Amino acid sequence: MGIDGNEHSLSDIRVLDFTGELGPYTGKMYVGLGADVIHLEPVAGDPLRCRGPFYKGIPDQNGSLQFLYYNGGKRGMALDLKSEKGRDIFLELCKTTDLLLESFAPGYLDQLDLSYNRLSAVNPGLVQTSITPFGNFGPYQNYPGCDFTTSALGGFLFLAGVENEKPVRACDNQAYRMAESYAAVGSSIALLFAKRTGIGQFVDVCCMEAVGMALENAAQYWDLEGKNRRGRGTEAGSATVHPCKNGYFAIVAIMGKNKIMWDPFVQWMKEEGVEDWEVFQDERWIEPDYRRSKTGYETFCTVLERFTMKHDKLTLYEKAQAHRVALTPVSNGKDLLENPQLNFRQFWQTIKHDYLNADITFPGAPYEFGNLKWRFGQPAPTLGQHTAEILKSLGYDEGQIHALAKEGIVYVG
Amino acid sequence: MLANLKRALDGVRICDFSWVGAGPIATNVLGQCGADVIKIESVKRPDILRKGGPFKDGIGEGMERSGYFANRNPNKKCISLNMSHPKARDVAIRLIEKSDIIINNFRVGQMEKWNLGWEDVRHINPRIIYVTMSLQGTSGPHKSYMGFGVNLNALCGLTEQSGFPGSRPFGTGTNYTDHVMVPTHTLFGIMAALLQREKTGQGQTVSISQLESAICMKPTDVIAYSANQEVLPPLGYSDPDAAPHGVFTTLGYRKWIAIAVFTETEWQRLKQVMGSPSWADDEKFSTLTGRKQHEEELNAGIEAWTKTRYADLLMKEMLNQGIMAGEVNDARAAIDDEHLRARGFWSYLDHPVVGSTLYNRAPIRFSKTPIEMVSAAPLLGQHTTEVLTGLLGYSEDEVKQLSAEDVLT
Repeated sequence: MGIDGNEHSLSDIRVLDFTGELGPYTGKMYVGLGADVIHLEPVAGDPLRCRGPFYKGIPDQNGSLQFLYYNGGKRGMALDLKSEKGRDIFLELCKTTDLLLESFAPGYLDQLDLSYNRLSAVNPGLVQTSITPFGNFGPYQNYPGCDFTTSALGGFLFLAGVENEKPVRACDNQAYRMAESYAAVGSSIALLFAKRTGIGQFVDVCCMEAVGMALENAAQYWDLEGKNRRGRGTEAGSATVHPCKNGYFAIVAIMGKNKIMWDPFVQWMKEEGVEDWEVFQDERWIEPDYRRSKTGYETFCTVLERFTMKHDKLTLYEKAQAHRVALTPVSNGKDLLENPQLNFRQFWQTIKHDYLNADITFPGAPYEFGNLKWRFGQPAPTLGQHTAEILKSLGYDEGQIHALAKEGIVYVG
Repeated sequence: MLANLKRALDGVRICDFSWVGAGPIATNVLGQCGADVIKIESVKRPDILRKGGPFKDGIGEGMERSGYFANRNPNKKCISLNMSHPKARDVAIRLIEKSDIIINNFRVGQMEKWNLGWEDVRHINPRIIYVTMSLQGTSGPHKSYMGFGVNLNALCGLTEQSGFPGSRPFGTGTNYTDHVMVPTHTLFGIMAALLQREKTGQGQTVSISQLESAICMKPTDVIAYSANQEVLPPLGYSDPDAAPHGVFTTLGYRKWIAIAVFTETEWQRLKQVMGSPSWADDEKFSTLTGRKQHEEELNAGIEAWTKTRYADLLMKEMLNQGIMAGEVNDARAAIDDEHLRARGFWSYLDHPVVGSTLYNRAPIRFSKTPIEMVSAAPLLGQHTTEVLTGLLGYSEDEVKQLSAEDVLT
């Protein structure tokens, strides 16, 4: 089912993706490199279909913008695993599958008599990757969890604040995204092993561990120095965010005591004729303690922001970078779509969606290869769009498919 | 449990020129899965993270005390190679001949200066996967722009929504993009190239744009603007589909609990756990829409209840009732957490200078191939002699000679 032949894609890898709100980016990473990915969902629809934002703000099971992104390029089949016949279809699909991705609660598939052992018996090379909040073993395995609570428990959320302030959360459910991207990696490692040995295995990835990868050096701060660090953001010029005419920007004008970084910033301020720029010539700015002091931080903000409030973020970005100052805009969706670099590189992918009669723009390739070609693929499936096609490939005829649909075992879109 | 003790990536070798953040994190994961990672540094050009805190006992002297460096580099061998010396290239070539992957995150052009660009390396070893990591790609008007993790967080759109309405955006408080978004895409790119090599026998280039890979993991702002011309508002700690969804003060120093209620059932359970206070039965809180509309008042009501209680006990009580809750753990609490410990997420490895210190493994557990934490981060040049006389086939005299000529410093 490869789009562009065997040479430039992973079209010989077949993926079954039975994930919902947690899990879909894993399969999308495989789609991008040409794998044949079938997205399975309950007959009532993947819960992600109910998550906004929706196209034109209108709730519609085929209009969730997140669903359209994460499941773009996948074929879609709606299937009731709770029925015997549904399970037979699932087992048939597993026979020719290299990788099963699922985000069911631990033990759910076992209860349906679809344990890894059973699946492995029909296909010994099968890799099954489970993506869950807490994983398939350990004291929390059966607890309910979500992006937010696993971010909290893993120590990631705590870092997003200073001193006694409550933390803020990152957008796009980053605990889910972290688990999904590590699930893609773990799966690919297991797939390579399976290709070489014929031996498949079960891969357990959970959100709470995945967020543990994003603690930077916080765990080591405790272990080596007995300190519980929080976020950075109030040390003048060292990873601070400041306002400008149309939003905000981030700046790293100095790190540690690195005067070589600081000098270009001072030079830039001078060339711009910023009022009071001379204060930045003072040697005390090289001292982190001064930059962290109230006076240091407030002086920095006052002098810099008087200037930056007169300019927009793109202008500041290009001016600062021309002076080798690490300043970047705090981009929103509009800024990103207008970003000159991303447009030059033709990063964005605009995909026509017939169901919505709309062109929608999505992020494109995260990497470039010598011999593999990245693709977005077809628009995400409407509910049950490929059910009939997939059943036919398994040998079911029109009449049988009709009967399965009537019984509610599949949904044919 | 581990029926097959062969590690998944046994036999895969990496010639690792990468340094600082995303590159070393990627090769760290491969090393834990059995790959032989040979890190190339030089006293003249050490991995600058060796000078980044924290340091054992807060003492930042020398090159061997950084925990920041250590946690990205366990299980690796380190050779010291002075690439500015003309004879160093021959050592690199011998390593490249025996490697499956070569990775760097230098500025574009550095490897070419050493005549180790793709065109050179492919002739040395046509099966090699050649990995580069640029900030914003190798073409375009901003290709030479500079930035650190915090800059990339802002540029890719991650920071914009991470703040309280009316305040300046804050972000994650870390160089987030460096830790997960960039390394996982790098890893997946490497593995895809290895999988394809199984079919073709040929190596290839893998080029990561840090900006582009980061955007792929936070797409909604762009899609919403494209579809609806809508700029998404700051999130604070809220969620558009849940209420309550927040961080609530509990007893103790900087102690909070995160609570997330998505469904009607969960809301009814939460009311019960709170002892069914009358305020919670107010009509205005009876639907998700109502709770979102009166979220501030809702949160105040819940906080009045949490602030006289212990986060850990509250959490267990709520979890047992099927309500999603989690203590906002600081690093110490995450290290002590029973679940992470039971899963073997943390390990302590012995290091010749700093002793037994803390590491974490990759967040992947395989049922048949082990993921292993074997050795602490290497000292700078710790394995130079071992690798040169073993793998690379130099005699001891040759190594002495190269040392004397300042090639191995």
